[in-house]
Amino acid sequence: MTPALSVTARRAGGWRLALVLALAVAVGLPALTNTYYVRLATGILMFAALACGWNLIGGYAGYPDFGAAAFLGIGAYTTGVLMARAAVPFPLALLAGGAVLLRLRGHYFAIATLGFMLVLQQLAANLELTGGGSGMNLPVARSFTTFYYWMLGVCALAVAAGLSLPRLRVGYAIAAIRENQAAAEALGIAPLPYKIVAYSGSAFVFGLVGGVYAYWFTFIDPPTVFNVDFAIQAIVMTLFGGPATALGPVAGAIVLKSLDTVLTNVSIFLHNVFFGALVCLLVVFAPRGLADLRRARGGILAALRATLRENRI
Amino acid sequence: MPLLAVQGLTKLFGRLVAVDHVDLAIEAGEVVGLIGPNGAGKSTLVNLISGFEPPSEGAVAFAGRPLDALGAPAIARLGLARTFQIAQPFRAMTVRQNVAVPALFRAVPAPSVGAALREADRLLDSVGLGPKAALPAGALTTPDLRRLELAKALALQPRLMLLDEVMAGLTPAEVDAAMALLREVNARGIALLVIEHVLRAVMGLSSRVVVLHHGRKIAEGPPARVTADPAVIEAYLGPGPASR
Repeated sequence: MTPALSVTARRAGGWRLALVLALAVAVGLPALTNTYYVRLATGILMFAALACGWNLIGGYAGYPDFGAAAFLGIGAYTTGVLMARAAVPFPLALLAGGAVLLRLRGHYFAIATLGFMLVLQQLAANLELTGGGSGMNLPVARSFTTFYYWMLGVCALAVAAGLSLPRLRVGYAIAAIRENQAAAEALGIAPLPYKIVAYSGSAFVFGLVGGVYAYWFTFIDPPTVFNVDFAIQAIVMTLFGGPATALGPVAGAIVLKSLDTVLTNVSIFLHNVFFGALVCLLVVFAPRGLADLRRARGGILAALRATLRENRI
Repeated sequence: MPLLAVQGLTKLFGRLVAVDHVDLAIEAGEVVGLIGPNGAGKSTLVNLISGFEPPSEGAVAFAGRPLDALGAPAIARLGLARTFQIAQPFRAMTVRQNVAVPALFRAVPAPSVGAALREADRLLDSVGLGPKAALPAGALTTPDLRRLELAKALALQPRLMLLDEVMAGLTPAEVDAAMALLREVNARGIALLVIEHVLRAVMGLSSRVVVLHHGRKIAEGPPARVTADPAVIEAYLGPGPASR
């Protein structure tokens, strides 16, 4: 083995160890702390899962999907309808939500993703099955910690998808299409099926999160679950942490959700300004995320200085 | 039966005739040169054959199979590879990963990602890019990008390669190296359609040269005869004193 290879191998081993440790801490967390922090952590895990899910279509495939929240709504309502109207147990209802989403096919690419979400919102607001505009109630769960573990599971699944994608054949296709679609086609890749894989993978994660969310909050109505804010937060967290990296979106969710919580406690006004200002700063200084700045020679400060010079600010 | 049979191929862009009833045949293992002044329709012809643009008229067959209903990816998988006039790397991927892509998606793909990457390393060695395999493709220089284009096309295991100006922007020494490389590729039995502005390279490589002008084929034959053809000289230099 060449020295370069063994260094890479050691680094990969270190990463794996860190991942296992992080997972162990996450699993043990509810036993170590009080309900407030478990609730906060559940929220962070929820957004980490959403960001990782969005990263599949928006990061790896490079399609900025603003309507991803549509699938959160579909997942929430599928779970809600099955549990409240048909008394189906939660895990089964959640699986059904996911299965429905995986059957969705590529023509959704043709629909403006945002419009798609608004159409669904109107649909949910006008159907009897979904309780219309007044929303619907779900059975109340006995223990709160359950949702922490559900969100952890969904998040782990989304991270695993992001970790394995670059090592898989389908991941090579998705990356090639993102980088240069014409060149990908010239080398034998028909783009549509692979875009659908990335899109439905992302939709699947949003659907699962929606299902857990519905049971967690026990009440859903159209504007809460078909809410573009879910997509926007997932986008900002992904861009912040590093698109097309497996753990960047998780880091983005942890940092931004924690900051968000602190700011909300300090001032509601600051909280409202925060995400807008952050988007502007990100686009100017780190269009490829913090992960890219970190990789840059000389660390974050040097990279920021270089960006400033490049943009003549 | 020729490996590639192009018949009456025509492409209209509005009222402009970019390619005008072109016939072209390439035998297995042959090297054919395609030359012509700027705007002669060379790149459009490549786009039509490789399925990147639909023809207005005419037909293309590869290994006896009509290509008209197939898209670019399917044509590539049949073993008809093309390169682009402006190199099209997957910038954020490493050079090695770039070459692994076609190895994973050709008709008989590499059995695993690992096998595709090992194959990519061998191909990169053969085009002289071995030491740069781990760099992101976006960091390569122009001559290296041309080599990468070639390695990617080779990883498709093609029977014919359409090479759209793979030598543009190279120094004379780099052109010599590229010519040696193409001879090696041809020695493996791969037929080549070489489109070049560098006449020395086309003439040195090809057994037959086709000349396009205003979308029409104005001459075809061995290099020496084609360069002496008055119609070809006129196309490149304008009408001579004799015709004034």
